[in-house]
Amino acid sequence: MSDLNNNMDKRTPLVELKNVSKSFPGVKALENVSFTIYPGECLALAGENGAGKSTLSKIILGIYTPTEGKILIQGKDETDSYHIKDAQNYGLNAVHQELQLVPELTGYENIFLGNFEAKAGFIGKKKMKAKAREVLAFLEMTINLNCPVKNLRMAEQQIIQLAKALVLESKLIIMDELTAVLQEKDIQNIYRIVNILKERKISIIYISHRLDEIFEVCDTYTVLVDGKMTGNGYVKDINKDQLIEKIIGRELTQVFPHKNFVETDEVVLKVNNLTSPVFKDIHITLRKGEILGIAGLVGAGKTELLNAIFGNHPTHSGTIEVHGKNVSIKSPLDAIKHGIGLVPDERKALGLAMNFDIKTNMTLASLNEFSNIFMQKKKERAISLENADRLNLKYSNLDQYVVNLSGGNQQKVVIAKWLIADSEILMFDEPTRGIDIGAKSEIYKLITDLALAGKSIIIVSPELEELIGLCHKVHIMFEGKIDKSVQGDAITQENIINSLLGESS
Amino acid sequence: MEATKKNVLSSFSISSSKIKEAAIVLLFIVMFILASVFVDDFFNSSNIINLVRQISFLAIIGLGQFFVILIGGIDMSVGSTVGLVSIVLANLMSVHQYPIFVAIIIVLLLALFIGFVNGLISVYGHVTPFIATLITMIIIKGVNYLYSNGIPISGLPSEFNFLGAGYVGPIPFPIIVLVVIGILCYVLTTNMKVGRSFYAVGGNLEASKLSGINVNKIRIYAFMLSSFLAGVGAILITSRTMSGQPAIGESMLFDIITIVVLGGTSLTGGRGKVVGVIFAALILGIIDNVMVLKGIDAYWQQVVKGVILAIVVLIDSHSKKNS
Repeated sequence: MSDLNNNMDKRTPLVELKNVSKSFPGVKALENVSFTIYPGECLALAGENGAGKSTLSKIILGIYTPTEGKILIQGKDETDSYHIKDAQNYGLNAVHQELQLVPELTGYENIFLGNFEAKAGFIGKKKMKAKAREVLAFLEMTINLNCPVKNLRMAEQQIIQLAKALVLESKLIIMDELTAVLQEKDIQNIYRIVNILKERKISIIYISHRLDEIFEVCDTYTVLVDGKMTGNGYVKDINKDQLIEKIIGRELTQVFPHKNFVETDEVVLKVNNLTSPVFKDIHITLRKGEILGIAGLVGAGKTELLNAIFGNHPTHSGTIEVHGKNVSIKSPLDAIKHGIGLVPDERKALGLAMNFDIKTNMTLASLNEFSNIFMQKKKERAISLENADRLNLKYSNLDQYVVNLSGGNQQKVVIAKWLIADSEILMFDEPTRGIDIGAKSEIYKLITDLALAGKSIIIVSPELEELIGLCHKVHIMFEGKIDKSVQGDAITQENIINSLLGESS
Repeated sequence: MEATKKNVLSSFSISSSKIKEAAIVLLFIVMFILASVFVDDFFNSSNIINLVRQISFLAIIGLGQFFVILIGGIDMSVGSTVGLVSIVLANLMSVHQYPIFVAIIIVLLLALFIGFVNGLISVYGHVTPFIATLITMIIIKGVNYLYSNGIPISGLPSEFNFLGAGYVGPIPFPIIVLVVIGILCYVLTTNMKVGRSFYAVGGNLEASKLSGINVNKIRIYAFMLSSFLAGVGAILITSRTMSGQPAIGESMLFDIITIVVLGGTSLTGGRGKVVGVIFAALILGIIDNVMVLKGIDAYWQQVVKGVILAIVVLIDSHSKKNS
């Protein structure tokens, strides 16, 4: 199965897992997986959510002990006693999307967290600062190390986390979905850093759902499906479609469904001259069944615009018309009454109540519909069931807490909430953030079907591919204003990117 | 519906939360049995009825606190509110000769007003509930002493004694009040929109707002409910002692918070059951009762209460970690 074996590599692998399995009560997370990574190699670890990537990483980091199989680090058999401390001693570390920094401490304090260079109990501040600056210089980054990290940008915080791993003289860094929360120029920066690390013979395990990145920066790939390794090889020997096929285990003929727009003059939503502290003079005309995309860099004002239409962001001038009538939207409740729904970018923080089960989350925006002095629980259950089936939700029962669903299914619950609330206008803020390719394609089909059924849709997304694949029209925002609009065939990467950076013709 | 890895794990988490809910009832049953077996004079109807009546005041006020903690806040002012209601009630009836019924209505409105103020400061003043209610607690405490000069107010009409000391058949009236309030609170939390909204707001304020729930209104309701039930408790206590006392609620505050937490209510909000609070109060009642019957020093009660609280909280956080 392994194409790499043909290479007769004479180097010693940094980490080698041989026939490793990991079982938990009732679940086999990894089955007979063999995995090798060499010094200076950037290996893409690909697979759907739940495929076993995180379990594999945790075994490498000594957090989990395999139920079967061998672990070899730098050629030495460490199987018998391999724990977190051992992994750290070998220089195996990880940087996650969810940062593990202490927000109130400064950059250099975070870099040395747990490793304060101490002389007789006093923290050697000068030494710490010097070493921290050295590491940043190596990464060719300039960041303020003296302010609390909570004041730094997300991308800078990630660099601090990376610096922490480097100060520990890491030989392997697992980068887990770092780019999910970054904007374009910072992603390019990550590529640059990966190359610097490779030159220094530091290995990288790169985990990302954005497959294009794998082709940008990784040397090899390993694909996991349901805990088994189904393929590995050199990135240069494979193309994106083949990779997708390996990840989802079947041929994905089309990630995006066919675009279909029934021409109509019926305008469902009109935004006129909408202005707020963050955006200016926004004009939007949304017709029935239309999918409108909004592109823009972080800070362009896209999320605030959606929130303003939803009554969750204060505006000081401009009007909103629904079905030709001027409406006053001062709170989400107003927006909902006028048939507007918002699927927010952070589903766990903003879209779902984690203390509730599936059905309660689904009916959360329609409590009045299900309440006649007393809650009509049977009706709730029936309608939730109907929508769970309609959206092809993967769940065990409606009383299941949403925290136990996968990202894609959680997103479906949020969408169901707006279907049950009878929203005519659906706004999506980063609809597929953190969702794997198989589930993404389901969400795309869902969005397209909703539009065909007569819903009107606005999508905000940093993934241009998504906007190009789904939308009938795209507005590009730059620094709070709509810089350009493209329609139909003019929706191309080129047209959008130029405008994103403010360089429209 | 495929059984994915996550689904298997999820069925574990459902049963673990049911275990948690059952834990407090189980603990009560175990303690009840132990007390019945090992403590003379425990297991007879008059002692048990006595026990339940003793804790009924605490439980009623505790149910109010439950709602505030459920939305992710805390009400530090309930103790002082009990005192204020007590002295105003006593004063209205004895000095101003108001009819009992009218005096009760007035103080309940007063209690609602206090809750409303707590809610306003917390929600619109953007002050964290702990501080907001601490502020009202301090102010009310001051008012209590100014109003009463620190002296208990007596001279209450004898009919008033029925509320706190009277019986309906074999059952003391306070217990009946507790049962009625308990049922109403249970129905509110399990079957009514406002009840569900409490859980939603406590579980995720932002998501609730984005689902169209009027989170400000709901939070203010919770504070009003807390003060209202503190008022009800105060009326019953005042009736039992037949005097209006400014300091009467002050020592209750920590017991009130204890039974809410012991009853399984999460301090971060969004989780908890009415039944849990009531059984937690009963557990505290058993501890007090056993200590008295055995002649154990009252201060030991504090230690035992603390230990039981520690055990339950540890079990709770351990089960949360595994879910």
